Amino acid sequence: MDTKDWNVLLVDDEVDFITTLAERLELRGIEARVTHDGQSALKAVAENEPRIMVLDMMMPGMKGIEVLQRVREEHPAVQVILLTGQGKTRDGIEGMRHGAFAYLMKPLDLEELIQTMNEAVHAGQGTRRA
Amino acid sequence: MGLITAQSMHEMQNILAIIHESAGLLGDILKVNAKVDFKHRPKMESTLGHIFSQVHRGKSLLHATSRLAHAPDDDLLESCDLAVYSTIGVQLSERMARLRGSEVAFTPPTEAQPVRTGALNVLMSVYHGLYWATSGPTHNQAVAVTVAKAGSDRIVRVTAPAAAAPDVAALDHPRLLLGPDRVVLQGRELNLVFPALT
Repeated sequence: MDTKDWNVLLVDDEVDFITTLAERLELRGIEARVTHDGQSALKAVAENEPRIMVLDMMMPGMKGIEVLQRVREEHPAVQVILLTGQGKTRDGIEGMRHGAFAYLMKPLDLEELIQTMNEAVHAGQGTRRA
Repeated sequence: MGLITAQSMHEMQNILAIIHESAGLLGDILKVNAKVDFKHRPKMESTLGHIFSQVHRGKSLLHATSRLAHAPDDDLLESCDLAVYSTIGVQLSERMARLRGSEVAFTPPTEAQPVRTGALNVLMSVYHGLYWATSGPTHNQAVAVTVAKAGSDRIVRVTAPAAAAPDVAALDHPRLLLGPDRVVLQGRELNLVFPALT
């Protein structure tokens, strides 16, 4: 599948971080929408279901783990990649238990993120309706 | 302590992440415009290299500091993985050793080594072991640190530089003695002996 069809949603309250990440992905032909909190993320998923959601676990208001649970319940075809901090391996493992596809630590390695997205897209193809 | 410091650690991670992505975007733009030559391109590329290496350095330090902050957590009070915490202890002590004119040559263990000693005590004893090894003139020679198995013991071995004369008085620190079961000095070798968790 072409990367322009990946339909990525990035969710992080750190505006400078997530908008810059979106620009870097765009330079590599990956279009990504951006939201900055859990509620907006759920709304964005309901309006236009992404194939991949990259979700920060530590946000004010609705926490990443709650967003993850809601997305897995209501939109099981969405593959969620979690972003955690250094030393927060336990949070990542907890997220995996709740159905996350993977977790990555900040600061990100962009190539690793893209590779993980690629794997998530392929893993999700079987569960997505045509 | 972990709970209290977690918030500022998270902020520091976000700051590093923003610096990393912003520098990454500048690098991307330089690549996209590879054919556009301008006077300061090499300087810009080398400066971006410096930023990336410093972010990497900050990431390692933050990881180690975060582990230190969580060391007094309930599940790490009585036991921990010596492989992990000796590594963190060395990372956190490298600057102190450098200020005393020595680098640390550390051989990290390749497998988990659970011990019946809390994480904070392991960290403090490794720090004070390195403090001892660099307490005399080091002549810019490295301190070697290895982790070994000996029966039911697990040993962090700190070897002072060949030309060094570490101060024996530096061994008499409560934080050094609190962690290991035994502290055995053999010439330039300081053995911090921890009981394996079986």
